[in-house]
Order: sequence, then C-alpha cells, then structure tokens
Amino acid sequence: MERLFTEEIEALQLGEGETFHGEGILAVTKGLLQSGVAYVGGYQGAPVSHLLDVMVQARDYLDTLGVHVEACTNEASAAAMLGASINYPMRGAVTWKSIVGTNVASDALSNLASAGVTGGALIVVGEDYGEGASVIQERTHAFALKSTMCLVDPRPSLPHIVDMVEASFELSEACNAPVIMELRIRACHVQGSFATRANRAPAISARAPMAEPAAFLYDRLAHPPATFRQEKLKSDVRMPAARRHIMARGLNEQIDGAHSELGLIVQGGLHPNLVRAMQQLGLADGFGESQLPMLILNVVYPLVPEQISAFCASRRAVLVIEEGQPEFIEQELALLLRRAGVDTALHGKDMLPLAGEYTAEVILRGLHRFVATHGPDIDIAAGTRTLEHIDALRTQAASALGTGMPPRPPTFCVGCPERPVFAAIKLVEREVGTPHIAGDIGCHALATFEPFSVGNSILGYGMGLASAAAVGPAMNRRTLSIMGDGGFWHNGFLSGVSSALHNGDDSILVVMKNGYTSATGTQDLLSTPAESARAAARANSAVHADQRIEQTLKGAGVRWLRTVNNYRVGDMVGVLREAFTTAEGGLKVIIAEGECQLERQRRIRPILAGLLRAGKRVVRTRFGVDADTCSGDHSCIRLSGCPSLTLRDSGDPLKVDPVVQVNHACVGCGLCGEVAHAAVLCPSFYRAEIVQNPGLIDRLLWGVRNRVTGWLAPQ
Amino acid sequence: MSTLPERPLTILIAALGGEGGGVMADWLVAAATAQHFPVQSTSIPGVAQRTGATTYYLEIYPVPTSELGERRPVLALTPSPGYVDLMVASELIEAGRAMQNGFVSPERTTLVASTHRIYTTLEKMHMGDGRIDPERILGAASTLARRAHLFDMAALAQQAGTVISAVLFGAMAGAGVLPIPRAACEAVIRASGKGVEASLRGFDLGWKHATGEATERPAAQIKRWVANPSERVHATLPVEVQPFADEGATRTADFQDAAYASLYLDRVEAVAKIDREQGGGAAGYALTRETARFLALWMCFEDVIRVADLKTRRSRVDRVREEAMAKAHEPVHIVEYLKPGVDEIASIMPAALGRAFEGWAKRRGLRLQKGLYIRSTSLTGFLMLRTLAALRPLRRASLRFGIEQQTIDRWLAAIRSAAATDLGLALEIALLGRLIKGYGETYQRGRENFLRIMATLVDAGDGREPAARRAAVRAAREAALADPEGRKLEGSLAAAGITPLPPRAKPIQFLRKPPARTSGRAH
Repeated sequence: MERLFTEEIEALQLGEGETFHGEGILAVTKGLLQSGVAYVGGYQGAPVSHLLDVMVQARDYLDTLGVHVEACTNEASAAAMLGASINYPMRGAVTWKSIVGTNVASDALSNLASAGVTGGALIVVGEDYGEGASVIQERTHAFALKSTMCLVDPRPSLPHIVDMVEASFELSEACNAPVIMELRIRACHVQGSFATRANRAPAISARAPMAEPAAFLYDRLAHPPATFRQEKLKSDVRMPAARRHIMARGLNEQIDGAHSELGLIVQGGLHPNLVRAMQQLGLADGFGESQLPMLILNVVYPLVPEQISAFCASRRAVLVIEEGQPEFIEQELALLLRRAGVDTALHGKDMLPLAGEYTAEVILRGLHRFVATHGPDIDIAAGTRTLEHIDALRTQAASALGTGMPPRPPTFCVGCPERPVFAAIKLVEREVGTPHIAGDIGCHALATFEPFSVGNSILGYGMGLASAAAVGPAMNRRTLSIMGDGGFWHNGFLSGVSSALHNGDDSILVVMKNGYTSATGTQDLLSTPAESARAAARANSAVHADQRIEQTLKGAGVRWLRTVNNYRVGDMVGVLREAFTTAEGGLKVIIAEGECQLERQRRIRPILAGLLRAGKRVVRTRFGVDADTCSGDHSCIRLSGCPSLTLRDSGDPLKVDPVVQVNHACVGCGLCGEVAHAAVLCPSFYRAEIVQNPGLIDRLLWGVRNRVTGWLAPQ
Repeated sequence: MSTLPERPLTILIAALGGEGGGVMADWLVAAATAQHFPVQSTSIPGVAQRTGATTYYLEIYPVPTSELGERRPVLALTPSPGYVDLMVASELIEAGRAMQNGFVSPERTTLVASTHRIYTTLEKMHMGDGRIDPERILGAASTLARRAHLFDMAALAQQAGTVISAVLFGAMAGAGVLPIPRAACEAVIRASGKGVEASLRGFDLGWKHATGEATERPAAQIKRWVANPSERVHATLPVEVQPFADEGATRTADFQDAAYASLYLDRVEAVAKIDREQGGGAAGYALTRETARFLALWMCFEDVIRVADLKTRRSRVDRVREEAMAKAHEPVHIVEYLKPGVDEIASIMPAALGRAFEGWAKRRGLRLQKGLYIRSTSLTGFLMLRTLAALRPLRRASLRFGIEQQTIDRWLAAIRSAAATDLGLALEIALLGRLIKGYGETYQRGRENFLRIMATLVDAGDGREPAARRAAVRAAREAALADPEGRKLEGSLAAAGITPLPPRAKPIQFLRKPPARTSGRAH
C-alpha cells in the first residue's frame, strides 16, 4: 500500500475525552468504532480510500474489538456485505467512491433497502463532485430516492461529522432503512479535531459469535411476494419513522436571523461556503451568526414536511442551495409547499447554476441575486463590490499573463511500467494503422492525456473490452481494449472477457499487470505477488510470480495469450503487430507485465540505503541525453512523456530550440533508450552505470581504461 | 468581542503531486494548533498525486480559542477569488494559474512562489520551443500581488539537501503574513522527526530569501561562446554577426577541416554582402546572423562519423559524470543506445556506392536496423567508435555530404536572391533552416517539409505582395514545427493557395471475417 497509517491507527484507539487531530474521512472511521460497528467493508477510491486502508492496516487492533474488515473486490460485494444487518442486530458500514461505486453496488443496495435492516447499516460515500473529481458528474441523491434510503449530508466540521456517524446508525435502526452518508472531496480531506469517545466492542462479532442463524423469515427476503409488502413498508412505516427520529433528535439545524422575511435552505455539506458567501455580502459574521434565517439539512432525504412548511410559512421568499442536478430537494420542496398551501416564493436553480460545484463564489453570485430581488432594503453593497472586484481581477490577470496557462493533468509516474505499452501502441499504429481503442479506468486512463492522447471511449471500471463489442464487427481493423489488473478483478473478467469469449469476438485485450490497484493507492489485489516473491524480486518486477490472471484466462478458454515485459518496447511492438495481423480469430490477450514502479521504489530504497551504509557495491543506473547530439525535436518526449524527460537550454549559442535532458527523478527504467531504439529516433540516449562503493577490481579496470581512452580521446 | 478580526487568514497552496505539499499543509496546521488558533485545511489531491497540479487550502483564525469562549469561527472549504491572503506556488506557472483564476489580488495577496520551471507535457512535446515565457508571469506577479516573493526554491532545496516544501514553508513564514512566530514553525519541523536538519536548513534559506536577508545569485551564463574572434571574421563581417560566425567557423573546422570552415565563411560573407547593400544594418544584420547560425548547424550535420566522434571525447565523459552526480572515486560506465540502419550506413559510403546500396536494400525490403548497446567506456566499444570517427577525411566523398551541400546551396541561393529585393523575406527563408534537424524519420520529415515549402512558396516567384509572401513562409514554418504529422503544414500551405498533398496513406489491416457461426451452443 502506498501509505502507512501508523499514527492514524493510534488515533483510532483514543479513549474518552481525548482529542483527535486529523482528516475528515479518518474521523468518520473513528466514529464507526465509537458506534460499535461490527463489520466494515468497501472498495477503495478517492476521496474515501483512507477509511478502508487504515482499517485494513489496523486489523490487529480491530481483532481485539472483534470488528471484521473486508477489502472487497468491488462495490457490489461491499454492498452485499450489508446483508448481515438484515437478520442480525449488527451495525455495519461500507464505503466507496460515488457515483461510480454506487452504480456498481446498486443491485445489492436495492435488495438491501427493500428487505430492510435490523442492525444499523451505513454507507459512507465519497461524493466525487466538482474540482478534483475523476468520475462522471452525477448525484448519489438519486439512489437514496429510488431505493428509499436515508441520505445524510453533514455540516463538515469534524465534531459534527462524528456525531452524525453515530446518529446515522441510530436513524437506520429507528427506521430499518440503510443510511447513506455523502462526503464531498474537501470534506473527506479536511483537517480538524474533535473530542473522542471510547470505542465500543460490538455485541455480536468474531469475539462473541452467534450460536445459531436467524430463524427463517420470508419477510426478510427481497423476493415476491414479500417485496410488495416491503414497498408499502417503505412509505407507510420506515420513512415516517425516519422523519420522527430526525425531528426528535434535531438532526437538522435552524439558525434565526434578523431578516425573517427571507430564508435559506442548505445542504449541510455546503454550510461553510454559504457562511463565507454571506460574510462577503455583509450578512454574516465569521462565526456563522447570520442575518438571514437558515435551515441546515444534515439529512437531505427524507425531508420532514412539517419542518419545511414551518420554516417557509412566514417568509416572503426562500432560496434552496443544493449542489448538482437535477434539483431533487427543490422539486420536493415545491410539492410540499404547494400541498401545504404555503405561497412563499421558492428559488434555487433559477438563481444558482444547474451544474458544477457550489464554491463560495458561486453561492455568493446566487445569493446576491436572491437578496437583490426579495430584500431590496437589505444592504448588500459589499457583495456587489466583491463581485465587481473578482471580475476585474480576472480580466486584469488575463491581460497581464497574455496567454492561458497550459493544463497540468496527472501523468504516469517516473518509470511507470504502463507508459512503454502506450509508446508501443503509438509505434505499432504506424505499421498497422490506427485502431479503435477502448479505454478503461485505472492509471492507464492517463494515456488519454498528452503526449499519447489514446482512447476512443471510457465506459466505466473494467468495461473497456465490453464497450468495444459492437465496434469490432463494424470495422476492418481489430479493436484494442485496455484493462488494468484492478479492473480485471473488479468486473472486467466477467463483463468483458467472458462475454467476448461467449460471443467469439475477434479483438485484442491488453491487461496491465502491475500487481496492485495503483491509481487508488496501490492496494493489494487477488493477484498481487506474495510478500516472499516481492522480497526476492528486490528492484525487479515481481508480478510474474502470480499467475492467477493467466490461469483464469486459460481456464475460461482464451487460446491466444502472450506475456510481454513492458519495458522491452520492441517486443511489445512485435506482439501487438502479431495480434493485429494474425489469422487467428477470437479474443487475443496480451499480458503487459511490469510491477508498479511506486511499489518497486518503496521496496528497494531501504535495501539500497542499507547496502550503501554497509559499504557494499551498488550500481546505480541513470539515463541521459547528450546535449551535443540532441537536435531539439523532442520526438522522444512525444513517445514517452516521462516526467523525468524534460527540457533545458542547449547551452549552444547556435541552437535555438531547447534540448532534452533526463532530470534527477530518473529511476533508470530505460524506457527512453528503448523508445529511441524502437522508433529509431536518435543516438543521443545513453545509460550511465555509476558504481558506488567500487571494489578493487572495479577501480583497477577503470584506471586502465581511463589511461588508454584518455590517451586516444580528443578533448 | 468587538475587537475580534472579521475574517480568518486564508492560504492557498498550489503544488504538484509528489512534492510534499501535503506535508507542508500539515506543518502549518500543527504550527497554528500549537498557538491554539482555530485552523482548518483541506485539499484536492485526487489522481493528481501522479504529478498533476494539486491545491491545498487553509484558513487560520488568528485568535487563541481561550479568547473565543464557546464560539468557533466557520471556516470555508473553498478559496474565493480576491479573498486569499497568502498565495503559495511551488512552481512558476502554477503561480500563473493562481493569478489566472483570480486568487492573487493587489489589495490582499502576498504571493510566495518558486521561479523554477517544471514544464508541462504540452510545452515539452513541441517540435521547437513550446515553453511559456517566464517573464510574462513574473511581470503579472509584480502588478497583481500586494507583495511578491519570487525566487528559485528548487535550487535552494537542492542546496539544503531537502525537498521544496521545507523552503516554501520558510518563505511563507518569512513573508510576514503568518500569525505564527518563526520558532513555532521550526518546532513543528523538529517534531516531525524525519530529515529534520535538512528541512531546517531549507526553511532557513526560504526565510532569508523572503525577508531579503539573502538574495539569489544571478543565473550563470550558460551559452558557451568561442573566446577569440578570428581575424577574418573580424575583418569581413558586421560586429553583430561576429560571435555567430566565429562559433560557426570553429564548429565547421571541428566537424571537417579548415577548408570547410573557409567554405562556411565564404557562404556567410556572400549573404553579408547583400545584407549590407540593402541596409540590413538597421535590423542588426538579422539576416546574416540567422543564416550564419543555421548554416553552421546544417553544415555540421550529425552523421555516424560525427556522432562517434562526439561520444568519445574526454569532455563528454566528464559531462556525463557530472550529470549522473557521480563522486570522484566512483567508476562510471556509459552504454550508448545506437541503432544505425540502411540510411545511416549508406550516408557515409561513397556517393555511387551508397546509392547502389540503398537501392539494393530497398528492393530487398531491408532496413537492417539493429539496436546496439555500445559500452563506450570499454576498450572495444571505445576503439570501435574512434575508428568510425577516424573516417572523417573520407566524409567529403560520402553520399550524405554531397546531398547536404546541394540543398544548402539551393537554400543560400534562395536567400541571396530574395535579399536583393526583400530582406524580410530572405530572413524568413533563412529561418527555414530550423526545420533541418534530427535523425532518421525526424530528419526525413523535417527535410521534406523544408523542400515542400521551398518548392511551393520560395522558388515559385509568384505575384504575391512581399508582405504576404513573408507571412506565408513564416506561417508554413510555424505549422511545420507545430505538428509532427505534417497536416498543419498542408493546412497552412492551403491557406496560401497551394493545393495540399493528399494525406499519406495509412495501412489498413483487412481481416478475414470469421466464418458465420454455426449454432453449436445450447440455447
């Protein structure tokens, strides 16, 4: 795993009345333990990876509590885990990145939500929305609505988040429905502190196992005819119970303000940005004291009609601040107010943008419009000035800079084993033509950026091969699909490989076998090489030690299967060429082998440091480019894009273009040289082998060579 | 409570994945916490941990919680334009990006940014020079920021043996905006327990440069000019051109021999003569200067002989040792990645033989490209390369030598002929020399582009206005440098009224359609 959570694991063990300092998502984790959770599962992904990662690393401690942790292979299996809470009074929590993870989990979630739960079931989703998001922009809200699950969107201060974790379990148990807690990216990564409570060991657990399974009860099966009754239960029993609990516990917060003729209804997660916007308008102080009354919805579903109409009834106008589309809350509010006969003017997405993140600036613009329209006597000159200032500032910056700054998207790491595969694809395209390339989710999706710009579609995690099924038959060139080993186990084998085999599709699949789910922080996979194999491999790739992917493919009936060492670009070009041109039909799979460089570097750094300290001989490899022969055409960069391959002034007064240099980040993977070879680029690349702690023979030979070459070489 | 500040101090940090921006944000949080100030930080890492742009945002309310009673400030999670007190950027164009987004304002923002560059892929992949002009960003910073502390923190980090985040932290503390004393910041670094001494050294350098106690040494002059101008250059060429011609003469002599250098100067002088007659002095003899520049580079084309020679010089081994940061007692072995093919072999053969060999290889479909890994620091490898280098006297008879001289003469004739009426056009033609560079396919492509522009826009003395001709040649050159596939060049030529060449045929792999499937499967 990419990160070690030693200190964080200690923080998870804090007792009554101590102070936890740390990240939002780890505060949630601590909240789970304080709530007596019995089992935790999930699938990693930003921004919630740390919840599961820290739990996996804290297994020893969790065993003492009896908390079971499962690193699920996809979100569907994580959601299905919550099935334990249907029959047994066990609190369970799962986590994943949303919207994508919720999509994958939705079948199990529907069944879970229909059957209902006895023990509290909490789903912590990272709402990957707005700046920094890496998935399609949709709302988790829709899933809560369609499956009638409660949706919690807590005001993101750490003490409140933790309180809401415990409240969510109670809510789930009060209404027998699963509860989703959505946390935006910045809320997951917010650093703060809260006063801890002691962790609670669950009543039923590995340490206190049950003697017998639950009695057979048809009503707990999501199977007809029980499903018909369950649908009625949702509306007649569960949601009313949830609403009563929300009111009784005061889960939503109301703040009064001087201008009682207006009101704001806001999702809890947006509260701090709303306060900042009000401050800029001159309508709030820095402590959240507001001149406009405010209803903060920490539970955004279900809404409580009495609470809403009571808040709105006496006011001239209300603004709903609700991020993302469609405006589910606003729509429901309109319905509730209409039914209640409340004729308060209702605004929301008519004054705020339909799409995109609600930063303080976005909210400020909408709020400014709202107050200007309905509170003409309220002084918002400060806000007007702020908005004018911002616009002027951007114009001034644009003219001072003259040109837009080039984007800086993420890219493959230095020495990444996936980069050479895309270099080989670019090269083989010159021979066999450009194929349709189905992209996928994983580090390899970074090949969609420059310099590769590879990929015609992305349809979801593990979906690349399946997404090419109808393209291949309509084209005279075979399609090429990319899949990571993470995607393979997540669902690519089932959705892609088995379907292609079943239908006899003639296409090519490249499986990036790097050994981990690297994009999410190098978590282990089913096919991650064993610890012993990794230790033995030292600085080399260890992934060949595990053959489960190959065995699975062969067992399923793949006949054309080749394994290539990624860094041998020439070999990769050869195998790709063969795959594109062979007369053999059916699915052709290329296993692109090369262990994640992050893991290799993490493994080898301490080993090398130890050897150097002990005075042992260590050969360090560095690549370089001769400035004398580099012509400044940069084709090597266009075929590799390695971050350590960069530019510098040539130092030659005649040459105008910058030359290429390899900077000190180089890990010596050798790709640049291999690409120069495979593409017949130029003779400028060299490999330097620096012998550290040289032995006697090293020094003798070196001395002799130096003498002779020094005598013959010109200056 | 009326004396409480209205708003928190807001800090936005723009960094690149893997630079330790997160560590720095944690340091700040810890330092503020130690002062009992309410503090909140958040970040947008996402997949940007893989070297992409990433931001950290902090708010510190500079009043100890003991003075706040039960009240706590509400701290925002997103930065607002015009509302940032301290903008920190770990790299120059990230500072530019922050300005572009409105996060640097003259009323409020202190900008602390490192001036070093980590080029984006888009800048690096350009076929010529796609780098953003740093002066624009430095200039914008001086007008947009309330105060700007700009210096090369990557160099200081290297000097201190630490990472850039330590220097940035020191610079932030030294910029005088943080409500946290220096000692408290250093205490946080000490408490972190890892690489403490180096981090403190970096912190100190950052502090001193931000407070003005230390200033940057001016960047070393990296261009290596020839020291002594030759008498001939001094006597015959304008002073503006002399350093270029000196460099060119030295280089052509080094490439071949004194006679070749003399030929070089003859060629430059012929252009200089017309340049003078046409009043080129007003433009600083730009035409002669650029001709001298690209002519020298062209005349010293890199064939196998030249490459072998350059790879086996003592100065080169020293340079590699320095770049690889080898210590004095550490042996360094150098392995060369060479892949000579039919073209490279034919190019150094005598012209007739070379042509016959090329034809033979073409008929046989041979490319003969074999990747070689030559250990130029071993005796055999070294001797092999020196032997190749020793073929230099025979070069004059080689196939490539003849071809290059012919094209050079054609280019120079076009420059001279244009210069007689339009110095500007002649300069644009001289600058076409920039297209001739590289090896293998790169070289072929550049040469084809050069010849295409010569044939369409230069040789054909059409009736176009001089200004339009200059613009067309310039646009074509820029297009040729912008796109390796050559499509932009054809587009540019089409805009100048030239019928574009048909796109190069792409191979299509026709598959045999699989036989219609018989229903062998159970339904």
